[in-house]
Amino acid sequence: MTNDFYTTSILPHSAIIIKICRAYTHAQEDFEDYYQEVCLQIWRSKDNFKKQSEWSTWIYRLSLNVCLTLFKKDKKNNQLFVSDPVPADVVEEPPVFTNDALNHLYAAIRKLKEVDRAVILLYLEEKSYQEIADIIGTNPNNIGVRINRIKERLKKLLDGKFN
Amino acid sequence: MENSIKSIWQEGFLKSNELIAPKVVNLYDRKSEHIIDKYKRMFKKNITAIASGAFILLFVSFLVRLQYMGVPMFFFLLFMAYVDKKLLTELEQIDKNKTSYHYLKSFDNWMDKKNTVNIKIARILYPYVFIALLMGFWHMKLKDQSMGNLFMEKLLQEFPGTSLFLGLPIWGILIVLLIVTFLFIFGARIYKWDINLVYGPIIKKLKELIADMEELREGYEL
Repeated sequence: MTNDFYTTSILPHSAIIIKICRAYTHAQEDFEDYYQEVCLQIWRSKDNFKKQSEWSTWIYRLSLNVCLTLFKKDKKNNQLFVSDPVPADVVEEPPVFTNDALNHLYAAIRKLKEVDRAVILLYLEEKSYQEIADIIGTNPNNIGVRINRIKERLKKLLDGKFN
Repeated sequence: MENSIKSIWQEGFLKSNELIAPKVVNLYDRKSEHIIDKYKRMFKKNITAIASGAFILLFVSFLVRLQYMGVPMFFFLLFMAYVDKKLLTELEQIDKNKTSYHYLKSFDNWMDKKNTVNIKIARILYPYVFIALLMGFWHMKLKDQSMGNLFMEKLLQEFPGTSLFLGLPIWGILIVLLIVTFLFIFGARIYKWDINLVYGPIIKKLKELIADMEELREGYEL
């Protein structure tokens, strides 16, 4: 029964979860933990899905909410956000995608603030300003301005890679 | 640039192997690592431990004739278990299906409430335990006399000129008041220091995320 739920209701939308989790994690191990945690939370919250939105939109929202509030313990035993920038003394793991441009884009996205990562991910997934605002809980009128700013920042971050 | 970012995104994911889901093992038996679920587990354990501790303490205090300490501590521990139960109920109402802003806001409000409540409890807890212990030993019977009476008899024999207030030495009352004030101030400080050490970065980041979302909500962008 439960395996069926993963296969029928989560796996067909795993691309959404993977794309979001990749934007909030720097290491493969963290990514895999995030993915499983998001799937677990989807399964646990499934009864709260009220069908007021598409199932996929609901998965975007839940995945973002879980990713925004996942923490891990650091060496000093403090709780820290996994999405925090990698400290300078830690060597980043090798890129995970076969497409170099996509690796550079993800590396740039990971340098953005957490909320900006959510906004640009939803924008790249062709969500309308209204849908982005509905998922994040913000004002749709301001989404366009924010997206322009994020694109400017991404442009600066990516220019060095492509020029 | 817009097109190039979008095209990088779309073309990047054309290859199906870029989005292969990680292997999921025992998903439904997995222990959640999410902070809200960790808090839930912790609160449930705390409530059980505090409530059972209260009854054990009450029983033992009668056995060792320290009931003047045991009874107040029993009621205080039950009160703490009740407060934790209320916090747990509120935590269980935080809905991960809400918009990100409302979800983060309700979690942040809960964290603030939990810390405020615990600071108040910490302020009362240490002085309360100290006074309960003092009362317990003061009224503890030794050879048909309470330890307090034995102490007073001995004191007045040694120092007959001791100034008394309500039958107690004034210097003793002052020392107790001093210790209670010290515990009242430092109980809260120790708790705040502990919270900042463990949860300081989380609380700070939550506030930052919410502030960023509020900027988006309220139109400071323009």
